[in-house]
Parts: sequence; structure tokens; C-alpha cells
Amino acid sequence: MSRYLGDDFILPGLTPNNTPFFTAGSIQIQFCDDCGHAQHPPDDLCYACQGRNLSFRTCPGTGRVESCARVHHPLHPALRERVPYVIAIVSVDGAPGVNVQGNVVHCDTSSVRIGQKVRAVYEEAVDPHSGTKLLIPQWEPAD
Amino acid sequence: MHGRAVVVGVGESAYYKHGGSPDTEFQLACTAIRNAAEDAGLELRQLDGLISYMDNRNSPLRLADALGFEELRWSSTPWAGGGNNSSATMHLADAAVSGGHANYVVAFRALAQGQFQRLGSGAGLMAGTAPEGLSWGLPYGLMSPAQECALQTNRWMHDHGVSQEALASVSLACYANAQRNPRAVRYGRPLTREDYHASRWIVEPFHLFDCCMENDGAAALIITTPERAKDLPGKAVPIVATAQGKGPEIGLTTFQQRWFPGMYYENVGRILWERAGVKPADIDVLQMYENFTGPVVMALCEMGFCEPADVEAFVGDGRLEGPDAALPFNTSGGNIAEAYIHGLEMVVEAVRQVRGESTCQAKNVELSLAVGGPGYAPGSAVLFGPAI
Ligand SMILES: [Zn+2]
Repeated sequence: MSRYLGDDFILPGLTPNNTPFFTAGSIQIQFCDDCGHAQHPPDDLCYACQGRNLSFRTCPGTGRVESCARVHHPLHPALRERVPYVIAIVSVDGAPGVNVQGNVVHCDTSSVRIGQKVRAVYEEAVDPHSGTKLLIPQWEPAD
Repeated sequence: MHGRAVVVGVGESAYYKHGGSPDTEFQLACTAIRNAAEDAGLELRQLDGLISYMDNRNSPLRLADALGFEELRWSSTPWAGGGNNSSATMHLADAAVSGGHANYVVAFRALAQGQFQRLGSGAGLMAGTAPEGLSWGLPYGLMSPAQECALQTNRWMHDHGVSQEALASVSLACYANAQRNPRAVRYGRPLTREDYHASRWIVEPFHLFDCCMENDGAAALIITTPERAKDLPGKAVPIVATAQGKGPEIGLTTFQQRWFPGMYYENVGRILWERAGVKPADIDVLQMYENFTGPVVMALCEMGFCEPADVEAFVGDGRLEGPDAALPFNTSGGNIAEAYIHGLEMVVEAVRQVRGESTCQAKNVELSLAVGGPGYAPGSAVLFGPAI
């Protein structure tokens, strides 16, 4: 799908820690293989046991809107045509304690509610530095 | 009571609208420090410590040379965030002089937002790709403190049934108090509840008037020991207690569930009350950094001033407005209506209240509290006690 805030809008710069999340086409969350702790954003060490055996696991791709807000003031020239848009904090099913950031797409901006069930969809883009295909997670209403 | 240091001088530049300063940021910093030294009855050469915070561009080496310090014995800045560290300057200054590391320490903040852009402008976010730390939010247009605090506030209002009127009351108190303060950028510009509700949305639930301003100006305080203060002409204002820090596992960039929604001020309040040996009801006058009104009402609850269920009544019906308020609050107008000098102007106002020199002077002030910016860790707070 095309991008919610426009195909030219700012892209995530890829790093080892964020490449799974932004390229897999599924919801990739970092887990500790030693203690099972889920953490986001990913880091070099488990925050629960300080273990270093960390791996990404595929979550079901569903979640719940923990909070949302309609943005009216555009902070970037490319957003002048896009306001109002909705930013959201989404809790990720299958990753206890983990919230991610995103937009709620494919619906009226005034319809998004705290507690709403959502499912992941993916925006397509290309990383300008490496040519890697990006699949940027977004969320659409699931109920 | 843990503090061992006293504030002996405060100073400011004139405060200007964003981009309105004829002076550079460095000149503003020097003006505020000179005024603070004059207020204290000190020569600039006697100053020997410098403390600031966030993206401070005014190097302590450049300042110490330009102002003619004979020695620079202490220079430090708290890590991380921004206005959350406004009161942490007093925490570091107390440590510096109580530990005998320096004699006369300056805490200062200068902002010339015409010369240097800041967060509200989206400056620096124009590049094609976001660095890792920003990559989790920026591609989604989640790119400002207002938006981050709106997400926190919306969930908190939802959970506790708090209405927009609580936020309005905070803004109206700041505006009402600024009408007594000729230094205030919004002096002569009163705000009504109707004006508030009619103003444009920035990001829901924040109207324009829920947000701090962006300004040009500088503020400074000078801290020394009570012994040295005896040789100075003015009143010395004791630092009774300071607190700085964060609780566990706050989720630095992504609002993780354990503390969402939260302003990270529970631990700051707990440490402050323990160290001072007082409780919220003992506070005579409060300056609480408003980045946005929502974080203020949340932090009031986290620090123990009231419960979420009671917060609308606690801040409503003018209970924060004027010198005779139930809790005199942001008596200079604060970041919303006096000037946004990154909250340090509110620490200056807390000192003025103890000296009896505010334009909105509360009665019988013995405990005057200044709280740093909520919503970003580490938080900070400083409690001042009766002048000596
Ligand atoms: Zn672990």
C-alpha cells in the first residue's frame, strides 16, 4: 500500500536493530532467549536479565489502540496536505508489555478510539541508501 | 532537610517573542549572568562555576573567559531530555558548593530561537531518513513533544474521566498571573475560557493555549554557601531539598506499558518529600513547568498534590489563580504566559516568592517549590525555604 503520510515522507534509516521491524512484512519484536522477556525498541542487551541471546519473533500482527491523538499542526512541509492525521500507541498481541508507535489507517481520523482492536498492514517503500525494500508496519481497524 | 546551599542572586535578560531578540544567545546569557551577579553583590571575577542543560550552545569556557572569571572550578550539565532538568540545575549547584568544589556557582539557560531553531519548528527533521532512535516515531509523523505528551494525556484523561476543563484551568491560571507581571511576553493579553476553547488545535487534546511559548531570553541564578552569603547584602534563599531521577524501565522512546501513561514524577516527588521532611499540603507556592497543560495535571497527581479523581476541582474555579489562590501556582505566568526560558525563569520566580518580590506575591511563603518539565526523564524539583 502507499504511505499514509505520502510516499516522500521521512523513512526509517535502517540499522541492525530496526531492520526486522521495518522490512519483514510482519510484526517483529525482540525477545530474550534466556528469560523470555519481550522488549521494544530492540537493544543490545536484555533489560530483564542482561542476557545477550536476543532474537526477533514474529507476532500475530494484531493489537489494541492504547492511545491515539489527532495531529492538526503540521511540523513538516510535507504534512500540510495531510493534517489532520492520527498517531497511535498500539499494544502488540504476543509480546507482553510491548507498545509500538504508528498511525491508524483506512478509517476516518475521528473514529479511532482507545481500546480499539487493530491489525497490521504494511506500507511499501525503498531505502534510498541500500535499495532494500521497506514494509513499514501500520494499523487498520479490526472490529 | 538536606540542602546546604543558598541562592544569593537572580537575573534575567528582557524576554522576547520567538526571534525577537536583538542580542545573540551568547549575549543574552552574559546579560542574565551579569544581572544575577549584580543582584548578589558579587564581582563577575568571583564566579567560579557554571551549570546549564540540554542543547546549551554557550560553552562554559567561552563564558568564563568572556565574563572574566578568575577560575572555573565547576562545570556540569545533567544528562538527557530538556526542561525536565530545569530544577536539576539546583541539584548540581547544591552539590557543587556543599561539597566545597566551588564558591559561587551560576546556573543559567539562554535561548535565542530566531538564531537557533528548536523542537517546535521540526527543524533538523527534514532529512530523508530518521536515525535509529527517531525511526520508531518519525516515519509516522510522531515527531514533537506536544504529540508525545498528547498521547500520554489522552490515555490518562480517558482512564480517569478528566475533562478538557482541567487543562483549560491550568492555562487560564498562567494567563491570569501573567497579567500582573510586566516582564511577561503575554502581559496585557488576558485569556478567557471562551478564547481558550476557540483557539486552534495543535494536537488533541492540546489547543494553542495548552502549549508553552517559544521565546528568546536568558535567566540565571547564583548559588553559594550560607557562610559566604553572610558577607553579601541581599537575602539568601536556602535550597531545602532537591530531587532528580527516574523510576525503573520507563520505555525511553516508545511509551512501554509499565509506565504508560505517566509523567515519571512519582519518584521525584517521593525523593523530594523524604529529603525535605514535608508533604505536598505544606507547599506555600508552586511553580510547575508547563510544556503542556496535560502533563501538569498528571504530574500534580503523581507528586501527591491530589488524586486524579479530584484534579478538576483541585485546579478549577480559579483555585490556582492569583496571590490568594488555594495553591498559588506559576505566579509569573510560567512557560505558557511569562516566557519560555526552558523553565529556569520559573526557578527564578520560586526564589522571588521566598524573597517577597513576586508580582503575584503569595502570603507568608516558607516553602516554595519549582518542578521541572513532566513527561521526560530524569525529572527534577527544588524546594526553597525561608530566607536568611
Ligand atoms: Zn533476559
